[in-house]
Amino acid sequence: MLPETRPSGAGKVVVDDVSIRFEGTLAVDHLSLTVGRSEFVSIVGPSGCGKSTLFNAISGLVRPTGGRVLLDGRDVTGETGHVGYMLQKDLLIPWRTVVGNIVLGAALTRGTNRQDREEAVRLATRYGLGDFLDHYPHALSGGMRQRVALMRTLALHADVLLLDEPFGALDSQTRLDMQLWLLSIFQDLNVTILFVTHDVDEAIFLADRVVVMSPRPGRIIADLPIALPRPRDIDLLTAPAFTQLKRETLRLLHGTVEPAA
Amino acid sequence: MSSRLPSPLRTALLRLGLAAVAVALIFGVWNLVIVAFGLKSYALPTPQSAVAADVDHWHDLAPLTLQTVEETAYGFLIGAAIGFLLGVVMSTSRTVQRLIYPTLITSQAVPIVAIAAPLAILFGFGMLPKLVIVAWVVFFPVVVNVLDGLAHIDPDLINLSRAMGARRGRGFLVIRLPATLSPLFSGLKIGATYAVTGAVIGEWMASAQQGLGTYLQTANASLDTRGVFGATILLTLIGVVSFLLVVAVEAVATPWRSRSTARPRLRSRLALTAGGSRWTRNPGRYARSTHD
Repeated sequence: MLPETRPSGAGKVVVDDVSIRFEGTLAVDHLSLTVGRSEFVSIVGPSGCGKSTLFNAISGLVRPTGGRVLLDGRDVTGETGHVGYMLQKDLLIPWRTVVGNIVLGAALTRGTNRQDREEAVRLATRYGLGDFLDHYPHALSGGMRQRVALMRTLALHADVLLLDEPFGALDSQTRLDMQLWLLSIFQDLNVTILFVTHDVDEAIFLADRVVVMSPRPGRIIADLPIALPRPRDIDLLTAPAFTQLKRETLRLLHGTVEPAA
Repeated sequence: MSSRLPSPLRTALLRLGLAAVAVALIFGVWNLVIVAFGLKSYALPTPQSAVAADVDHWHDLAPLTLQTVEETAYGFLIGAAIGFLLGVVMSTSRTVQRLIYPTLITSQAVPIVAIAAPLAILFGFGMLPKLVIVAWVVFFPVVVNVLDGLAHIDPDLINLSRAMGARRGRGFLVIRLPATLSPLFSGLKIGATYAVTGAVIGEWMASAQQGLGTYLQTANASLDTRGVFGATILLTLIGVVSFLLVVAVEAVATPWRSRSTARPRLRSRLALTAGGSRWTRNPGRYARSTHD
C-alpha cells in the first residue's frame, strides 16, 4: 500500500484503508479519508457507490472487512455510539412529541432527565420549533420533521455528524432553507460534518471539501477544496467562483476529465 | 347551523346519528320481512317485542347478563394478556416464531365446540372452562397483530437506535414496546367481538351457573322465540359495548393517532421546564420581590 494513502492519525475522523465486502460484492475498496476538526466534508458519487456503506462503517453499524476507523486518533472500528447519524428518512417516532424525539438518544442509552428535556426545549425554541414542542411528528411538515431529526442528532452531543442525504426528500425551496439553517448550525456549533448528497450544488454550498467517489466499488477519485468564504448566503449559489467549482465537480462526477491525482 | 358546534363534537354527533339510522334500518327491514312473508310471532317476533321481553324479564335477566359479562370480560383480559406476551416472545427470535406459529394456527382450526366437552371434564362446570374458551378465541387475533406490528418496525429505525448506542432493554421499552400498541388494539377490537361468542359456547357446553347463553338454550328448547331474540339482542349489546370500550381505551392509550399535540399534562410539564409557568403559578411573589 502506498505510504501517502495511510493517514498519520491526526484529524478528527480518519478512515484508514477501509474495504467493505457484502456477500462477495466489494462495496468499498481500500478507501482512506481524513477529516479535520470542525471541517465540513461533502461526499458525492453515483448511486450505489458505497457512500452509505462508508457511513455505516464510520458509525460502527458495519464492521469493515479491512481497515480501521479512528476518531480523535482512537480506534473505534465496529463501535457504535460515537457519532451522530442522520438519514434521508427522518425516522421520527410517531408516539413521541417533538421534545420526546429530540431526547431519543438519551432515552435509548441512559434514560432522559430534566436537563435533557430542558436542552431539547432550548434547541427547538432556538431553531424555530418553539411553538411545536408538544406536537406529534405527523402534525409537522417535511422540513420541520427533518429539523427535529437533526436536533435529535445534535442532542447526542457527538462532535461528529454523519448526514446521509438528509434533505434528499424535500422540495427544492425547503431544501435551500434547510441548507441555510444547517450552515448557521455549523457556524454556531463546533462540530465536524460528513455530508452525503447527490446534489452537487448542495455539496459545494455547504462544504469545505467535496470528495468525489467512483462507481462501485467505492473509491475516492477526487478531493476538491472549496475555498469559498463563510458565512455563506444564497448569493453564493450564482457567484462565478461557485459555478467554476460546480463545473469541475460535474466533470469529475461524469468522467469527462481525468481525475486529478 | 351546525357550524356553531366545535367540529370534533359535530363529527361525533354525526357518527352517532348514522349509527342510530343503521340500527333503525335493521329494525325496519326486520319488520318488513315479518309483514311481507306473513310470519307468525312464534316463528319470528318483531324486534320491538324481543326488546319488550327483555324489559319484562329484566329482573331475571340482569344476573344472567352479569354472569355472561364477567365471563366475557375476564376471558378477554386473560386472552389479550396471553396473546400480547406470546406476540412479544415470538418476535424475539425467528426460530421461536417458527416453532410456535404452526401450533397457534392449528389451535384456531380446532372446532371450539369439540374441545368444550373435554374442557368441562378437565376444569369442571364453573367459571374456568368458559374463561379458557373465551381466551382461546381472543388471543389469536392479538398475537397475529402484535407480531405484525413488531415485524413492521422500520429496520432503519433499529439501525439508527443502534448507531445511537442504544441498550437492548431500553431499545425494547422505547421503540419496540410502544410500536405494538396500535396493532395490539386492532387485535383487541376483533377479540372483543369474538369474546361474547366464546362465552356463549362456553355456557352451552359446560355450565352450572346460568348465563345468557344457557338462557338462550332453554328459550330455544321451549320454542320461546321472543326469549331467544331478546337474549340475542342483549348478547349483541355486550359485544358492541366491549368493542366501544376497546376503542375508548385505544383513544386514551394512543393519543398520537388522533391528536396533533400531546395532552395538556405533558404540555404543562414542558412549560415548566421552559421556565414559563412559574410566573403564571405564583406571579405575586415575583412582583413583590421586585418591589423589595
